[in-house]
Amino acid sequence: MAEHCAVIGVGQTQHDAKRIDVSQYGLVREAAERALEDAGMTYADIDAVVVGKAPDMFEGVMMPELMLADSLGAVGKPMLRVHTAGSVGGSTAIVAASLIQAGVHDRVLTVSYEKQSESNAMWALSVKVPFQQGMVAGAGGYFAPLIRAYMKRSGAPEDTGIRVALKDRQNALKNPYAHLKLEGIDFDQIANSPMLWDPIRYLETCPSSDGACAMVLGNAAVAKKAPKKPAWVHATAMRTEPTMFSGRDQVNPQAGQDCARVLYKKAGISDPRKEIDCCEIYVPFSWFEPMWMENLHFAPESEGWKMTYEGATALDGDLPVNMSGGVLSSNPIGASGMLRFAEIANQIRGEAGEHQVDGAKKGLGHAYGGGSQFFSMWIVGDQPL
Amino acid sequence: MRDVAVVSFAQTKNVRRENRRNEVEMLIPVVQEAVEKSGVPKQEIGFYCSGSSDYLAGQSFSFVMAVDCLGAWPPIAESHVEMDGAWALYEAWIKIQCGEADSALIFSFGRSSPGVIRETLVLQLDPYTLAPLGADPVSLAALQARALLESTDHSEREMAEVAARNRSNAKNNPYAQLTGDFDVDELLAEPYFVSPLRKHDCAPISDGATAIVIAADDVARKASKKPAWIRGIDHRIESHQLGLRDLSQSTSTSLAGEKAGAIDIDVAELHAPFSHQELILRDALSLGDDVKINPSGGALAANSVMVAGLTRIGEAANAIWDGTARRALGHATSGPCLQQNLVCVLEGE
Amino acid sequence: MAIKQEGVLTISEFPTTFTLEYPYTRTLGPVIGPFLTALRDGRILGIRCGSRVLCPPLEFDPDTGETLSPDFVEVGPAGCVEFWTWIAEPSRKHPFQEPFAFAQVKLDGADTAMTHAVKAAGPEAMSAGMRVKAQFREERTGAITDVYFVPEGDARDVAIAPGEGEVAISTHLISLTFEENLYPSRARYAQGLLDGKFIGQRSPVNGTVSIPGKGYDPLARVLMTEADDVELASTGTATSFTVITPIQYKGQTETEPYVSASIFLDGADQALSMQNIYSIPVDEFREGMRLRAIFKPAAERNVDNVDNSWMIFTTGNVIERWEPTGEPDVPPEEFPEQI
Repeated sequence: MAEHCAVIGVGQTQHDAKRIDVSQYGLVREAAERALEDAGMTYADIDAVVVGKAPDMFEGVMMPELMLADSLGAVGKPMLRVHTAGSVGGSTAIVAASLIQAGVHDRVLTVSYEKQSESNAMWALSVKVPFQQGMVAGAGGYFAPLIRAYMKRSGAPEDTGIRVALKDRQNALKNPYAHLKLEGIDFDQIANSPMLWDPIRYLETCPSSDGACAMVLGNAAVAKKAPKKPAWVHATAMRTEPTMFSGRDQVNPQAGQDCARVLYKKAGISDPRKEIDCCEIYVPFSWFEPMWMENLHFAPESEGWKMTYEGATALDGDLPVNMSGGVLSSNPIGASGMLRFAEIANQIRGEAGEHQVDGAKKGLGHAYGGGSQFFSMWIVGDQPL
Repeated sequence: MRDVAVVSFAQTKNVRRENRRNEVEMLIPVVQEAVEKSGVPKQEIGFYCSGSSDYLAGQSFSFVMAVDCLGAWPPIAESHVEMDGAWALYEAWIKIQCGEADSALIFSFGRSSPGVIRETLVLQLDPYTLAPLGADPVSLAALQARALLESTDHSEREMAEVAARNRSNAKNNPYAQLTGDFDVDELLAEPYFVSPLRKHDCAPISDGATAIVIAADDVARKASKKPAWIRGIDHRIESHQLGLRDLSQSTSTSLAGEKAGAIDIDVAELHAPFSHQELILRDALSLGDDVKINPSGGALAANSVMVAGLTRIGEAANAIWDGTARRALGHATSGPCLQQNLVCVLEGE
Repeated sequence: MAIKQEGVLTISEFPTTFTLEYPYTRTLGPVIGPFLTALRDGRILGIRCGSRVLCPPLEFDPDTGETLSPDFVEVGPAGCVEFWTWIAEPSRKHPFQEPFAFAQVKLDGADTAMTHAVKAAGPEAMSAGMRVKAQFREERTGAITDVYFVPEGDARDVAIAPGEGEVAISTHLISLTFEENLYPSRARYAQGLLDGKFIGQRSPVNGTVSIPGKGYDPLARVLMTEADDVELASTGTATSFTVITPIQYKGQTETEPYVSASIFLDGADQALSMQNIYSIPVDEFREGMRLRAIFKPAAERNVDNVDNSWMIFTTGNVIERWEPTGEPDVPPEEFPEQI
């Protein structure tokens, strides 16, 4: 890697079911300007802009980065648009970071968003669009069998998912930007919420949100002059495997395992459970927390649920997970991955506010997409690697 | 900066409607050919990146299926841009510059035939003040052509000459769709399609796919007898609204060309889906009469959307490989009226 | 529904048509909202951006990205055509169904031109620099199409009563039709369903059988042909399922909880996923259960919902129901844990 890259500014919108107060311009600018302000910059300081989002059909604008160019101060600059399904927010951050690591640019603005309410993706659009047959309805039907398979394999107690949901929903109460904030949420409310796709209950699923996330990334010289503490990118990794083939393990996908392995190697991490202080990972249905704990090598196979059960992943646990409330609390699909990457950067910067993990020095951001087949991850730390 | 070269290029024949093969069936032989020609063993390719658009065939996540053409097992390092494949090549080049890979396979595919591309591309426009007008790409290009004719010395005759030359060049390109000898006077006698554009000023509607392998330093030298070295690559975007631009120019192309070092060019492959856009691009890049433009026939001979830009880089490499050029330029465009442009400068040893 | 064939085409027996149609609701924000509200009320607004006035207005300075304060200026209603093009054959998406012009119109008081439609007698009535004037439509909803332009002398006076409230949302119906034939491999699968058979494909590389065949092996990257087709049994094993409790949404017809199962047909290496099962009570359904597909009578079968989609495979409308075969369940360790 030629150059160091650091996160020097983070911004996100207020996430909500319908942001009727803003245009698409306004939504992306709300996040972008907060990130720029955080970095002590204006659009004029930026060398290049990288935009990410999930399918264009959500907003009914084809390649919307074209119409957003002026609104993100990109005129006369390079602008890229990434799309890697649900992992896109993470992949977008990785592409932005690589522009700095390559030594091509000094300061890069990266933005990802989804304005799902433009199409009300939850229950609309065509049945031909995968994962979208009612975004959650389709995805829930697709992922529920994976979760049943995990339960069978691991023998995890049936309330594991409820415990994850409770933790994330309580964490969300400490996050001013979260979409779903359920005051007084308790175990019974989740347990008694309707069973949508057995074993997934209503309160164990993610919402459909409007929202955006942005980061300003800089090289070492820029980071040293940044007004706030930077989060240094130690390693990034992406891995992909095909959607369907005979013998594919969709519960503990090889691509995720490989991605984590190469990520830790690049970051010089030999014992992730000990060396990583906290994680923001992509958990759209509660049960994916224990599944990903295993996939990410934090727990041996079939034992990921114990981390949830023993409180290891709680805000005060030894490996806090989704301190922000995670995807279960805010899900602007295209931005959901970048929110994981940005939230973990903020933990390292000490900028996470009420959901800050004390003394977080090394963190993992994670996103996945498609049929559990696209993975993007990064490790950030408080010092350059 | 690491030295990175284009080491292979493969493409399908461009056709009006490909209905015998799905996207993956189109891509498998093309990817296979690109890998074989590259000399880089498949298992050593370090990164994959593709460019495509969901809207062409009306399927979201269409790139997810396309991964099937790669044999992505064991899992691979892979990414995708919702852009022309030329920008996928840029992302791959960056990845190699980071030292994350020593070689990369880039591909793109576009099948416009299931939809009505002129209607589909309306959705690229701002959804508040432009898309509801149904302002289609041909109409907007026609406004641009008028701007060019009114504010410069360029003429409709020059546009017809561009169309005739590209289609004549395309006779030597087995992958082209629209080829032949055309008489400029006869073309000018044709009625307007969308004035001042005539049918011959517009690209055909195509289905097709392209794959390219790039490799760094010794990997390229070892794999290829004649690597086409990427001496510069840059891309820039302009304002979206036409009223905020001088439509008779392409400032983003000029800037990208300057950053990419677009000088002393022998052959330029310009992604100009409309004849007048070739004139604008030549001016923007200061390409004189001594520069051979589009020996492949360019986008006027075959215009698979999301593919044609990447193909220009491949064709520029062809010009290096066949000895036509010492330095060749590949250009890609995106958005209404050349809103976004990429310039890639290649050079032989 | 036949597709017009051109060029190198082969006609398949299974043309498909798919319309991607949805009314998008555009929330407009602090600048486009007032702009479209003004259009509804018969006025055109620009916005100040430094020394310039931009029309249509933007929320930001297009050169720098900096936010513009909502300093609106009324512009027009007349202005000059900068550039124009004549649309002799309008499409169904255009603002007029008879010939018209698209033009860059710089309104009086504005420094930038807007792209819009001009209704004129013919191309000979159009010229660069000509004067045009806004013509507001009788029915206005707060959309860019509330207005169009005409040669200044042709403008008619329209009595305009301001509408109520601010326009905050604009609805835009997007409708795109996609037509294609089933690819050969999918067409053979569809024909099989019509014939009451499940047709899959066996990989010549590793022998695994997928249904429907994709026309290629995704791991070995080899193309497959009709020679690789295999007919599968109509019996299989349920390997995984979920119970779906319907939430009502557009297009949703089920009301009672039902099973959605993955079924491994005997001889296949991939499951038919998301098979909806209504004929077996939810609480009687088990993993490992042996099932048989009972096909509808031939005359009642159709494959209208079989398309080229690569991800969601339907089995057409050919299966009457899945019924238990009565064989003992397959123990979990004997069937692959497949989704």
